[in-house]
Amino acid sequence: MKLLLGLVLGAVFGAALQLSGASSHTKITNALRLKDMTIMKVILTAIGVGLIGVHLLDALGLAHMKVKDLYLPGMVVAGAIFGVGFAVTGYCPGTALAAAAEGKPDAWATVFGGLLGALVFAFMFPDLETVLMALGQYGPVTIHESFGMPGVMLAVPLGALCLWLAVRLPDPGGAR
Amino acid sequence: MAVALVQPIGVSTQYVVLDGVLLHQVLPDVADQSAYLSEAAGGWTLATYEFFFVLGIPIGAFLAAWATKRFSTRLVPGEWAHRFGPIPGRRLVWSCIGGFLLLFGARFGGGCTSGHIISGVSQLAVSSLIFSAVLFVSAILTARWLYGDWGKQ
Repeated sequence: MKLLLGLVLGAVFGAALQLSGASSHTKITNALRLKDMTIMKVILTAIGVGLIGVHLLDALGLAHMKVKDLYLPGMVVAGAIFGVGFAVTGYCPGTALAAAAEGKPDAWATVFGGLLGALVFAFMFPDLETVLMALGQYGPVTIHESFGMPGVMLAVPLGALCLWLAVRLPDPGGAR
Repeated sequence: MAVALVQPIGVSTQYVVLDGVLLHQVLPDVADQSAYLSEAAGGWTLATYEFFFVLGIPIGAFLAAWATKRFSTRLVPGEWAHRFGPIPGRRLVWSCIGGFLLLFGARFGGGCTSGHIISGVSQLAVSSLIFSAVLFVSAILTARWLYGDWGKQ
């Protein structure tokens, strides 16, 4: 039953990615070149809804919080590597799957490369763990906790700001 | 968006899980030696909520593309052809290298777009905010360089 739920929710997510244009190389690269704000709107909406939703549920004690550990140099290197891959392929690991299902052969190549990358990382992990991840290790920190305030107080205004931005950003074509 | 609220989503982890399960089929000894693979693919099974969620993504995307008649087998995206020419092999090789970087970076950072940018930032996690900020700076610089915005104006 839980498997089926996962499959259905995944399919909804995949359809949303496809329909919003997030699986399009052109849309992504134009977003990165700051020419087309469609993707930014999608991401801002997701974060805005997520911020408000997660923290409201958390205040009610219903949320599944899973904050990732902060290891500073590792995070910066990882983000930089991911960013280059993102710009070259025009996909992220999730949208590559969606684009592959649309029939785009370059997305298949991206998924294949991704499987290789994940495998190589898995076998390099014992070495990387000691070198990079040990440095600047802060554990699972969040902004609101480091200020000692409840998450809702920060998340709701920030979420509202994200949603406002998502609405205010120009539509594709309108800016040109 | 209910999706994000049920449980933080993570696509990139499932690449590791699939790797682990496949490798365990072919070379069980090698797979067992990697603590990282054993931990991600606990029990070497794909029958989990998380994997089925990721499995659902292409199904949903396929149905959406089919319903809106946007199914396409175009190999070289327009932006790419504009800069690097319409040679399919080159695009495929670079897509593969790019995919390698994507997942390597995602696993290094412990998440990808879904895990860090959407789920992580929603939780106001400092790690996710730093990852996302660096990611966008790196991606924007790379895109400007790759798709030739520099030197044109």
